[in-house]
Amino acid sequence: MPIVVYRLLVLGVTTLVVVAPLSLVVYQSFLTAPFFDPSAKVGLLAYSFVLADPDFWQAFWTTIAIAGGMTAIAVPLGALLAFLMVRTDVPGRRYLEPLILIPIFVSAVVIAFGYVVAIGPVGIFSTLAKDILGFVPWNLYSLLALIIIAGLTHVPHVYLYSAAALRGLSTDLEEAARVSGANPFRVAVNVSLPMILPAILFAGVLVFFLGFELFGLPLVLGDPQDLLVLSTYLFKLTNKLGVPSYQLMAVVVVAIIAITAPLVFMQRMLLRQAQRYVSVRGKGLKTQPLPLHRWRWIAFAGIILWLCLTVIVPLFGITLRSFVVTWGEGVNLLNVLTLDHYRELIEYPNVVRGIFNTLGIGVIGGALAVACYTAIALAVHRWNSGWTRLVDYLVMVPRAMPGLVAGLALLWVFLFVPFLSPLKSTMVSIWLAYSIVWLAYGMRLVSGTLLQVAPELEEAARTAGATDLRVKRDVTVPLIKYGMLASWLLVFLIFVREYSTGIYLLGPGTEVIGSLLVSLWGTGAVDLVSALSVVNVVMIGVGLAVAVRLGVRLHG
Amino acid sequence: MAELTVKDVALRLGDNEILKGVSLLVPAGEVVALLGPSGSGKTTLLRAIAGLETPHQGSIAIGNTVFCDAARGIELPAEKRGLGLVFQSYALWPHRTVFDNVAYGLTLRGVSTGEIKTRVEKTLSQIGLGHLASRYPHQLSGGQQQRVAIARALVYEPPVILLDEPLSNLDAKLREEARAWLRTLIVTLGLSAIHVTHDQVEAMAIADRVVLLDAGLVAQEGTPTALYNEPATLFAAEFMGANNRLTGTLVENSSGRAAIELFGERLSGMSRTKAAAGAKATGITRIERVRCASNPGPNRLKMQLKAPMYLGERWELVFARENLTVRAYAPAPLDPGEHYVEFPPDALWVF
Repeated sequence: MPIVVYRLLVLGVTTLVVVAPLSLVVYQSFLTAPFFDPSAKVGLLAYSFVLADPDFWQAFWTTIAIAGGMTAIAVPLGALLAFLMVRTDVPGRRYLEPLILIPIFVSAVVIAFGYVVAIGPVGIFSTLAKDILGFVPWNLYSLLALIIIAGLTHVPHVYLYSAAALRGLSTDLEEAARVSGANPFRVAVNVSLPMILPAILFAGVLVFFLGFELFGLPLVLGDPQDLLVLSTYLFKLTNKLGVPSYQLMAVVVVAIIAITAPLVFMQRMLLRQAQRYVSVRGKGLKTQPLPLHRWRWIAFAGIILWLCLTVIVPLFGITLRSFVVTWGEGVNLLNVLTLDHYRELIEYPNVVRGIFNTLGIGVIGGALAVACYTAIALAVHRWNSGWTRLVDYLVMVPRAMPGLVAGLALLWVFLFVPFLSPLKSTMVSIWLAYSIVWLAYGMRLVSGTLLQVAPELEEAARTAGATDLRVKRDVTVPLIKYGMLASWLLVFLIFVREYSTGIYLLGPGTEVIGSLLVSLWGTGAVDLVSALSVVNVVMIGVGLAVAVRLGVRLHG
Repeated sequence: MAELTVKDVALRLGDNEILKGVSLLVPAGEVVALLGPSGSGKTTLLRAIAGLETPHQGSIAIGNTVFCDAARGIELPAEKRGLGLVFQSYALWPHRTVFDNVAYGLTLRGVSTGEIKTRVEKTLSQIGLGHLASRYPHQLSGGQQQRVAIARALVYEPPVILLDEPLSNLDAKLREEARAWLRTLIVTLGLSAIHVTHDQVEAMAIADRVVLLDAGLVAQEGTPTALYNEPATLFAAEFMGANNRLTGTLVENSSGRAAIELFGERLSGMSRTKAAAGAKATGITRIERVRCASNPGPNRLKMQLKAPMYLGERWELVFARENLTVRAYAPAPLDPGEHYVEFPPDALWVF
């Protein structure tokens, strides 16, 4: 097969898979009824309905407030954390690094459940506080709490990009400041952080964008106070009118994408700028970390406090909850210990299927997804043509669709295209949705690996007489094997964690832990939810442990 | 084996015009060095011959096989050209053993397993690495890796072997040994080769003919002796060897002889300019041709000895007068102070 045929084939399939769900949504938004309804006509009725709904605007402004608030919290903390971890002598940095990244890999719904059972009105720490103080000094169900939690859990995103930028920054700039008499704090504020400003700016836009994708946190923490954001508004809309109101949902989806798409585009521009700023490092010179002296342990305590609030409190809460019958004032926890919740899990066939499906989507689905991402990346690799730009933009399209939205769009595709319908209630639909949602992420992982292949290794094979495709098979792919393996592990982690994408596709045969958790939480089955959450966290923990053991970089 | 012809090749990379119409002829069995400063287009020309860059003008052919011809829209892909290419970084595939690296080109040509074994072993023993066949590239020293890269390019007997600064990654001492070894190997096997380098000594040592490139054009080509002893342009004169540069006024220019005047003295040499008397002119002379004397004479300048430096096998003397600096070699140091520096007329080119 000539390489041109392969490239056009890959380009065609990718375009179809990416564009079809999106165009269906846009098409649906301009209909007056669901697309399968024969009475559906073209019109703007759905737009006028949604835009006239005060709940929609309420949700819109709440989303803005949360996205803005969490950005204001996550950016300074994340940048500071990066400086402490990369440049200073904070104790235990090697062991802290993987811990810091945990909030990225644990499902947001699990974290949210954890907060409810830990510091909710009847949570374990709340009852403890009530025992000691006589009252609960915090209120989990408030907009402020939601913003703080969202902010704290997104610190790692800022950390990742700031730390990467700092590592690429030559240390002699900081040493020059120190020699001139600046203390570590001044070095950070006057030299290091301004130098990585483009990266921090990028991370800020990223976190703001992720604010629009938030679903698990506002669903669990916002619901008791009737606090809606755009994604939960969309979710509630499903049942608002009693009949499937696809046209209204489509309008909300279009509204969400209208906000996220420019943000995605902005991220792309900022990322390019950030990369341009990276100053080339000297020749692997191992530099001495900045000594913090007495601030050393204060910084350490700050990091541990943040870890406690964002990781340990919710995970401890949910784990404890899964092993006890109940808790409350005057209950001795030792008397109520039980394994019943885990036994209960096995009694529900859909839960058991969900666990196996989750493992399957992670291991097999992850491998297939990485294979697809590699196929696309190889098609554009060393392709000197304007078409590669198209692929760049194509990959960005699903990025603008939050998981919930992509799942919905895909559901419609399966309903809309007759010969695809049988696949709707199989794991194929889940796999396709997951792979599309994480297309940009996966492509970045694989392309990053491909970038490390020196061009002359491939050119040497060309001059030795190998065709383009043969070069890819004999040289390129064997050289990126380790990178593909690492990508597989990371894709496993996010596929196992994923909860929002599968919600609309949830049905007999397509259960995954994430979407089951959301649906079980709706029924109030806290026992089951906490046990299943722990199962999910353990799966991710094992994956993370393997990744750390193999030395996989936990970010693309 | 047939000769390689490059005709009027021009090539652009992005907005940069790298090659501006280069022609080249490599007869069978000849070693040609492409020499030039960085940015002169020598590596780009090599890559165009290999098929890794596409010229927008001109043609490249070997015998009757057209590699590329911009006018006729012909572009033979790199893998169909059957050339051998040795990369500056060697580009050995890290996931294959030495044997597999060398054998790959034969595998692609459908050679039987048994024959591959004999041919690879023969090539490896030719380059003196027969015992390292099962090693991986990272287990070899730099010099060994370089030999494997050469073996990999030789094993399928290409009509021309292309070498892209193959010695530049070796340290100075090893480079001189490798230079002699490579020249011997090429001559013994009767290969045609194009050798890209920025080192004029290496180019002259290894090649039958040197092609000097400057900013995408051929500045001069010829045998190493011709290039060194009869530079045609100021660029060629200054690029080859170590030189002194004398700037003065042209006072005579006729029948191949020219003279410049500086500090009121007249220095005569060989004319390389068409300018008339009265114009500004530059005289170039090789450091090793400058002589020191103690009394005035023809073609001599009175200068101050600044710094004698001991180089081991000889002394280097730096003379100065106003803003003119002249370097010369001497078997023994001279006393500081005034001396007369002589520029022999047969070693002074006037541009």
